[in-house]
Amino acid sequence: MKNFFRKVAFGIGPNEEVPSDPLAWALNQLDDVPDLTWKGKIPSRKEMIEIHARKTRIEEKKVRKKYKNDKKLLKIGIERLEDETGQGFWPALELSIRHTEAMHSTSPVLAKLWFFWANHFAIVEGGYRAQFYTGPYEREIIRPNLNQSFEKLVYDVTISSAMIHSLNNSENIGPKSKSAKNKKRTINENHARELLELHTVSPASGYTQEDITQLAYVMTGWRLGWSKSAKDTMPVEFDKDYHQPGKKTVFGKTYKSGKKGLVNVIKDLVNHPNCRDFIATKLCRYLITDNPTEEMKRPIIKAFKDSDGFLPEIHKAAIRVAFEYNDQYQKFQNPENWFLQMAKLADFSWPPSPTIMDLYEVGKKPQLVHKRPLHTLKGLGHFPYGSKQPNGFSDFEVDWTSPELLIRRLVYAKDFFEFTKSKNNNFKFYKNIVKKNFDNPERIIKYLEKANKHYEAQILLFNHPEFLRA
Amino acid sequence: MKINRRDFLKTTAATSLFFAGFGLPSFASQNKKNLVVIMLEGGMDGLCAVPIRGDKNFKKLRSEINLKKTLKLTSDFDLHPALENFKALWDQNTASVFHATSIPYKGRSHFEGQDMMMSGGTVPYQEKTGWLGRGMKLAGLKGNGLAMSLPMPLLIRGVPLNNNYFPINSSLPQKRLLNIIEEEFNQYSEKDLSETLSIIRNRDLNYFPGTNASTLALEAGKLLSDPNGPRVAVFKVENFDTHAAQGGDKGTHADCLKEYDQILKALKASLGSTFKDTLILTLTEFGRTVKQNGGNGTEHGYGTAVLMAGGLIKKSKVHGDWPGLKNKELFQGRDLNSTMDARSIYASAMSTVFDLDFKRIQKDVFFGDKLENLSDKLFKA
Repeated sequence: MKNFFRKVAFGIGPNEEVPSDPLAWALNQLDDVPDLTWKGKIPSRKEMIEIHARKTRIEEKKVRKKYKNDKKLLKIGIERLEDETGQGFWPALELSIRHTEAMHSTSPVLAKLWFFWANHFAIVEGGYRAQFYTGPYEREIIRPNLNQSFEKLVYDVTISSAMIHSLNNSENIGPKSKSAKNKKRTINENHARELLELHTVSPASGYTQEDITQLAYVMTGWRLGWSKSAKDTMPVEFDKDYHQPGKKTVFGKTYKSGKKGLVNVIKDLVNHPNCRDFIATKLCRYLITDNPTEEMKRPIIKAFKDSDGFLPEIHKAAIRVAFEYNDQYQKFQNPENWFLQMAKLADFSWPPSPTIMDLYEVGKKPQLVHKRPLHTLKGLGHFPYGSKQPNGFSDFEVDWTSPELLIRRLVYAKDFFEFTKSKNNNFKFYKNIVKKNFDNPERIIKYLEKANKHYEAQILLFNHPEFLRA
Repeated sequence: MKINRRDFLKTTAATSLFFAGFGLPSFASQNKKNLVVIMLEGGMDGLCAVPIRGDKNFKKLRSEINLKKTLKLTSDFDLHPALENFKALWDQNTASVFHATSIPYKGRSHFEGQDMMMSGGTVPYQEKTGWLGRGMKLAGLKGNGLAMSLPMPLLIRGVPLNNNYFPINSSLPQKRLLNIIEEEFNQYSEKDLSETLSIIRNRDLNYFPGTNASTLALEAGKLLSDPNGPRVAVFKVENFDTHAAQGGDKGTHADCLKEYDQILKALKASLGSTFKDTLILTLTEFGRTVKQNGGNGTEHGYGTAVLMAGGLIKKSKVHGDWPGLKNKELFQGRDLNSTMDARSIYASAMSTVFDLDFKRIQKDVFFGDKLENLSDKLFKA
C-alpha cells in the first residue's frame, strides 16, 4: 500500500509523518491550487517572452551583422549573448520551481497531476521556447486551471502564445480573409490537427481531413499581435482580418464566422465521448498501467461527465482508481518522477535554493550551479520543457527502459550522493526511509545490508525493482 | 532455413548449396552485412532533397523556398546542396534515390505516421514491434541492433537484447553492486530489466566521445565494422517539420539534410572496408505539400523520397515511376503521389542484408501485404 505515496506523488520524506489515511491525504490536495512554494523570484510569462524576443529579434541580429565576416567571432558572440540572456539559467530556475512543488510543497499530488497536464499540452522545444517560456506557460496557463474545468483549460491553452507559436497558428490564415486579398495566403492545419488528435478527442473519434481543414478555418485569426517595435512580444489576439469568413462544419456541426467559433467548437470537442475516454486512458496510463482496462476508466469517465469536466472531480476519480488498483499494478516511473522520488526520500539538498538562484542577474553569465537542474534533467533523457514533438513524453514503460536510460539511473544514484546531507549518511537513515515507503521493509533492508558504504546503499535502494515502480 | 532464396535459385556457388543443406545462415560464408536506417522525423520533403528539374509549375508553387545552387543528379533530378557527401557517394555509384514513394499512410499526423513508418503496419498504434525488429527476428539475430539514441525506437523492437548508445560522461557503479541489483531483478522476475542490465555490464563507461550526430555515427561505424558487432544501427534526425521558414539552400530543412549528410560522411569514414557490405536507408513518415504555405513552409503531405547509400547499392540512379506534379496528378490535389509502397524498398533491403527470402519477409514481417521485390533492381546480391 505504501507505494501509493509514490504512485500519486513522490513518496514520504525522512522527516514526514506517514499519513494514516492515504486516500484522504491525496484527495484533500485537489480542490485548491495554492501559491507556488518557491520563495525566490518568479518571473512572469510576459517578462520571459520579452527577454526571449529581445535576444532573438534584436541582439542576435546585431551580433550577426557585426561578425558577418568572421565565423569564429560570430560563434563567440552568439555564445556570449546566450549567457547574457540567461539561456541556460531560466529553464533551470523553472525546474527549481517545479521540483520544489513536488518535493517541498503541501500538495505533491497536485504537482504530479500538474506535470501530467503540462505534458499533455506539451510545447515543442524548437526556437528556444524551452529555454525561455515553456516553464512560465506551465505555471501561468496550466497550473491555475487545475481547479477549473477541462473546457477552460483547453481554451486557455489553445489561445496561449506558447501554443499558438509552437503549432504555427499565426500562419494559419483564411484564404478568403481580408489579409489574403492582395497576397496569396492560406491555412496552416498544424494547430487544428493537434487540438483534435492530442488535446481533446483523439483519432479514435474518427475525424476526417475535412474536419481538420474546417477546424483550421475556425482557428484562423488567432495569432500573436504584431507591432514593428515589439515584434513577437505581443499577446495573442483574434484579428478578424485574418479570419476565414463564412460558416464552418466540424463533426457535422456548423459554427458561425468570428471570434466565438473557437470557444464554441472547444465546448463541443470536450463534450465528445471520445474526449472523456481519451483523458481517462491517459490518466490511468500515467498513474497505473500501460494498458488501462475499461473498468479502470469507467469511474473517471463518469466523473468527467457528471461534473461537466471539472478537473478536481476528474482528478479525484483518477486518484481513487489508482488507490483501488494500487496493489495490483505497479507503474514503472518515468525518469523525472524517479529522480524526484529519490531526491525526496534521500533528503537531497535539491533543487538549488532560492538564495542561490536569486544571485543570478540578467546580463551576467550563469554559474554552473545555476544550470545544474537543466543539465540533470537533460542527462536523464527527460527535460520536461524539451519535448521534440507536440505529443510530449511517452508514458509507456518500454520507452524508458533502454540500456542507456537504465545506465542513467545507476549513474545518477551514484553521482547524486553529493547532494545528501552528512547527518543522513548512516544506515539508520536508510532504514527509516525504507520503513516509511515500503510495505515489506525487512526484505529491502536485508538487500541494503549488502552495501559496504552509505553511497552504495543509495545506489542499491534507488535501483531496487520496488523503487523503480510505484 | 536461412538461405537466401535468390542465391539458391541463381547462383551455382557451392558454398550456398552446402550451407543450405545445413540450415546455417548463408552470411557465414561471406562478410557480415549491415543495415543502417536513418529516421528523418517530422516529414522529409522529397521535393526539397531531390527536386525535379525544369518543371515551371513546381518553381512557381514554391517561389519563396526554391533551391538556387543545386547539385545535378540526372537530366530529370537535382540534389539539395546540403547533401554533398551523398553526391560524392553518388559519383562512386554507391548512392541512389527512390522517388515518389511512401509508407502506406495517407493521414497527415506525425504520430500516427511515425508509428507506422516504424511498425510497418497499416493501422496506427496497432503493432507493438517494428519491421526491422521482426526482420532481425526472422534472420535469427539477437542483440544485433543498435539505436543511437537514449530511448529504444519502436523500429527495432521485437527482438530481445537490443542495445543503444548515447554515452554519458560518468562511470558506472562497481560490478559487485551491479551483481546485487541483477540478482534482485531476477528475484522479482523483472526479466526485461535483468537482460538490459546484462547488456549494460559490458559497456565501457570510461570512454566518452560525445553525443553529436557525427560522433555517434563514427562510433556506430566502428561497432558495425566489428565482425562480432551489431548488424543493424538506427539513427534519428529531427525537425523536418517545417511549417514555417523551411528555407531553400539554407534554412531548417537544409540543416536537417546536412545532419543526415554528416552521418553519412562519418559512417563512410568509420566503416572502412565494411562500407562495401552496408546499406544506409532513410525513413520518414510522409512528404510535404508541393505548394508552400502562408509561412514559407510546407504542410504535411504524402509521397517523398528514400535516400539510399552504401556499397550494396547497385548503381547510382533515381528509381521510381514519376507521377508528375500537375494538379490532377497530385494526391488529393496537393501532395506528390506515391507510386511505390516504401515497405517494398525496406523488405528488399532486409532480403539483401539478412539473406532472407523476400516472400518470407513479406509474409512474416509485413503481414503478407502486396509488396514488390526490388532487391535485384536496387541492391547487389
